[in-house]
Amino acid sequence: MAGDDLVYAGIRELGTRFRKREVSPVELTEALLDRIARVDPTLDTFVTLTADRARDDAKAAEAALLRGDASPLLGIPVGYKDIYDTRGIRTSAGSALWAERMAASDATCVSRLQDAGCVMLGKLITHEFAWGIQSPGHRFKPARNPWNREHIPGGSSSGSGAALAAGLCVGALGTDTGGSIRGPASFSGIVGLKPTYGRCSRAGVATLSWTLDHTGPMARSAEDCAYLLQTLAGHDPLDPASSRAPVAEYVGTLDRPIRGLRIGVPRDFFFDGVDAEVARAFEDAMATYRSLGAEVRDVTIPSIWDAPSFMVIMASEAFAYHERDLRERPELYGDLLRERLVSGALYTGAEYVQAMRLRERLRNEMLDVLRSVDLLATPTSPKPAPTFAAMWDVSLGFPRSNTPPFNLSGLPALALPCGFARAGLPLSLQLAGRPFDEATVLRAGHAYQQTTDWHRRRPAV
Amino acid sequence: MSEDVTLDEVRRRAAVAGVTLREDRVEMVRRLLNDALAPLRRMDSRALRTLEPAATFDAAPGDDDGRR
Repeated sequence: MAGDDLVYAGIRELGTRFRKREVSPVELTEALLDRIARVDPTLDTFVTLTADRARDDAKAAEAALLRGDASPLLGIPVGYKDIYDTRGIRTSAGSALWAERMAASDATCVSRLQDAGCVMLGKLITHEFAWGIQSPGHRFKPARNPWNREHIPGGSSSGSGAALAAGLCVGALGTDTGGSIRGPASFSGIVGLKPTYGRCSRAGVATLSWTLDHTGPMARSAEDCAYLLQTLAGHDPLDPASSRAPVAEYVGTLDRPIRGLRIGVPRDFFFDGVDAEVARAFEDAMATYRSLGAEVRDVTIPSIWDAPSFMVIMASEAFAYHERDLRERPELYGDLLRERLVSGALYTGAEYVQAMRLRERLRNEMLDVLRSVDLLATPTSPKPAPTFAAMWDVSLGFPRSNTPPFNLSGLPALALPCGFARAGLPLSLQLAGRPFDEATVLRAGHAYQQTTDWHRRRPAV
Repeated sequence: MSEDVTLDEVRRRAAVAGVTLREDRVEMVRRLLNDALAPLRRMDSRALRTLEPAATFDAAPGDDDGRR
């Protein structure tokens, strides 16, 4: 297996090759560490590399394989967004405020992947506290997009998206409050799943907005996301929002046919300001689904234009979390994040309550629509990745996104590659399903990836 | 209720909240508030009387789809 093929291999293939002794977790880990050393100085995806830990984990995985351990994640090298606590390893949240912070224990999601035999390569840079992209002069550098380094890789799980696209890890963890898993998946050309609210634990993960925060897997295929979710999902008493709903079979149902699956396309809001290239790629994806036997039709969510009130909720909750530090140590926040957080102090209590009431109406309408269709499909982002210069220009404002409605509703949503813009930047499709029906979302994503190769394309890094 | 958030309104809100905004960023914050508050300013809160603001997401095993 050639070097690039090895570092871009998926979880199922790696498991097979490990067990045939064609390659070992130690060899794979060394190949990735070597690639990180060569490639990452131009991408800045890893904020902390844990090479010694990775080698120890890989050796332990190799020993477990020899004992016949059947865990599908055994020896799979992963990276963790740097807002997931890791015991004894710095968790910075991409901020000078936490620049040397050490957690006392692992986040639940980290524990679950490590207990399943994953190899910890290190911590991946995040936008500051999962909201503020780092500007020049910031304590931490922002990750760069492997498809074009002048463009952002998406955020806030920026390092996770960019590292996966560059072949620097096999899986990663992200968090998603308004699209921070799906945005980087979209801009970096990889796959990200925001599971149902409560499906994956947030214990040990820095808060941005309690009622909107989700944790979830990022990878290069829907299949790999299914493997990771199978281990991540499940009740955690340490997270007050954690669900006791039973964990479905995600991996074992991937290959079921999608003939007869009903896909609804909500045209309002989600196609406002969409680039022609994005729209064309989306329609091509719907044509692919029709060819696979799915039924695709337009649907209407009457209150979808209320979705921008999402920001009232997110900013208010984020300010509540950060208020003391903002008032006592404002200089430790980056300029962009500080101003966004302060905006959360400007809403009234009544406005927060009204935004939550609009949220409930929108959520009920989305659930109503999902009684007549199995999935909703939209472009993940209206446009391809913007440049850093555009993101840093405060006069241009906050870019619009198609992802927050699924944070408001808590519905599971998957972002996966569906084409490329002429400029060579990835384009992405978003699929959302009913509460706790990640299995259908992943199955539909997997079916699409069995007939397309967008997710197999690699940037020249 | 007025449709748009004004720069003066942003400054007043900041003063009430006891926070400081850099003058060259007030317009950015105004746009952020304007977009976020537009749906609230369109709504008639009396028409939402039956909706409580609490959001729950859990679906009990074997229960419905999480709808309240």
